[in-house]
Amino acid sequence: MIAFAFKALMANKLKTILIYLSLIFSIVSIFLISSISNGIITMYSSMLKSDGDIIITQAKISDTFFSNVNINLTEQINKIQGVIESSALIVGASPVEKLPIVAVYGASSNRFKNYELVSGNYPNKNEVIVGKSIYDQLVNKKEIQIANKTFKISGIFKSEIGFENGGVVLTINDAGEIFNKSASMIMVNTALNSNVENIINDIKVINDQIDAKSTQNFVDNYNQFKIIKTSSNVISFIAFSMGLLGIVSLMSITINQRKSEFGIKRALGISTSKIVYSIMTESFILGLTSFISAFVISHIVLFSIKNISSLQGYVNGEISNELAFYIFITSIFMAIFGSIIPALNAAKTDPVELIQGNKI
Amino acid sequence: MMKVTNLTHYYNKDKALENINLEIKSGEFIAIIGESGSGKSTLLSILSTLLKPTSGDIVYENINYKDIKNIDDFRKNNIGFIFQFHYLINYLSVKENINLANEKASKEEIFDLLKLLGIENLIDKYPNEISGGQRQRVAIARALINNPKIIFADEPTGNLDSKNSLNVFELFKTFANRGTTIIVATHDKSLAELANKIYEVKDGKIE
Repeated sequence: MIAFAFKALMANKLKTILIYLSLIFSIVSIFLISSISNGIITMYSSMLKSDGDIIITQAKISDTFFSNVNINLTEQINKIQGVIESSALIVGASPVEKLPIVAVYGASSNRFKNYELVSGNYPNKNEVIVGKSIYDQLVNKKEIQIANKTFKISGIFKSEIGFENGGVVLTINDAGEIFNKSASMIMVNTALNSNVENIINDIKVINDQIDAKSTQNFVDNYNQFKIIKTSSNVISFIAFSMGLLGIVSLMSITINQRKSEFGIKRALGISTSKIVYSIMTESFILGLTSFISAFVISHIVLFSIKNISSLQGYVNGEISNELAFYIFITSIFMAIFGSIIPALNAAKTDPVELIQGNKI
Repeated sequence: MMKVTNLTHYYNKDKALENINLEIKSGEFIAIIGESGSGKSTLLSILSTLLKPTSGDIVYENINYKDIKNIDDFRKNNIGFIFQFHYLINYLSVKENINLANEKASKEEIFDLLKLLGIENLIDKYPNEISGGQRQRVAIARALINNPKIIFADEPTGNLDSKNSLNVFELFKTFANRGTTIIVATHDKSLAELANKIYEVKDGKIE
């Protein structure tokens, strides 16, 4: 059956290649859209997760970029039982040289250890450390201008997180002057076995202008992630639908051209279910080979994107096993569902048309 | 073998066959002749279970076609069909085309059958590598591979020259002598003379 399916596919080379290409384009699109949007979410959430168990932002603010929390709260937070340490961060963005957007992080001094220095020292006042990825693109390797202020580059750091590796870190006071705020958020490290929910409640009591969440809860409910995920799902669905329509059209044309073959099979006593099964086998082979090709192509594209210096490492997608599994199921479904209607129509081909001399 | 009673068939409101009565015995070689559009192909389609008649009965060895539960299996096990155009599948070899009708047939069985038809050297060839006459012989082999009780052939020599046409009819005669019932529709009266019995269909009626 499989050998016959291969022969049938090879007998209609052009149509097979067209279906194969439309499947590959659709699957690669789904892979890239899903993995890049997941990459963005993973990068930002890894950044947050590496910083603590609890995140404090300004209450009723939809995005951390607009949040303003008083940094002095850290002194009170550090006194709560179960809290090991709290740190503050300002998240901003600014053009740097020819780069239109560069992530700018103002960090309290106890957060500097999160940035692994490749060379130089952590920043003091009017100094910055820059990510390796952005450093490579700077024309002036000694000074950097953010907003209307010039900072000396005191060191270079390396980070696996693209948003950090393509960013700039300075003291929280300097960042506060640029972005006119105290802190975007405060991160709290808690002791092992401490009750995070109790600590969150204790933090909320300190100030009614703040909102505290466990890091996981924050990541799960962060509006920007929801928007990215929804957009990604919508675009993936469009890619899926476009691919499906393409396959249905091409399969209909291919199968219509093979009507006489199915009529002969029926006249020979081959059941309609066997005919449908043979077409499904062809579709499965197409779906499987397209998935494998798309998987390899997507890896190559993602690797290339990751290494395009002009993207500063901000676009960084990774294909997880879970994503690969879902897309595999989608690919097979797309191939089989796309051919099932033409297959059912083909199986009904009346052999009488052949017998009565109507060469189809 | 086969008894047809009061068979009538309409295509929408057009009468194609009217009150056909036939009795066909096992091993008979029957030719159905008639002009194009006379109804002979419709009759062949109905007799071979590919088309349900509007009314009337067809009984195959005491089984009414209406009582056959799996018509595909019945056709596969009892009926062989040869088309005017050979209708071989181009991407399959001669052997694979024959295996379509019987997947269990071994290469040896297929070779023996092809030898009987004088084309055993073509077993691994593809349809586009052999001549029209050879293709029609392969189509005959495909119809015979299941040892069907009845073979229906609709204008099987329509695309063959006179020499190949005669060869095909000679083959039918050989198989009829071995006990296979052969029912052939043809417009060639000289070839029809080779059959044991000739029925002429005219305006949907047998004369």
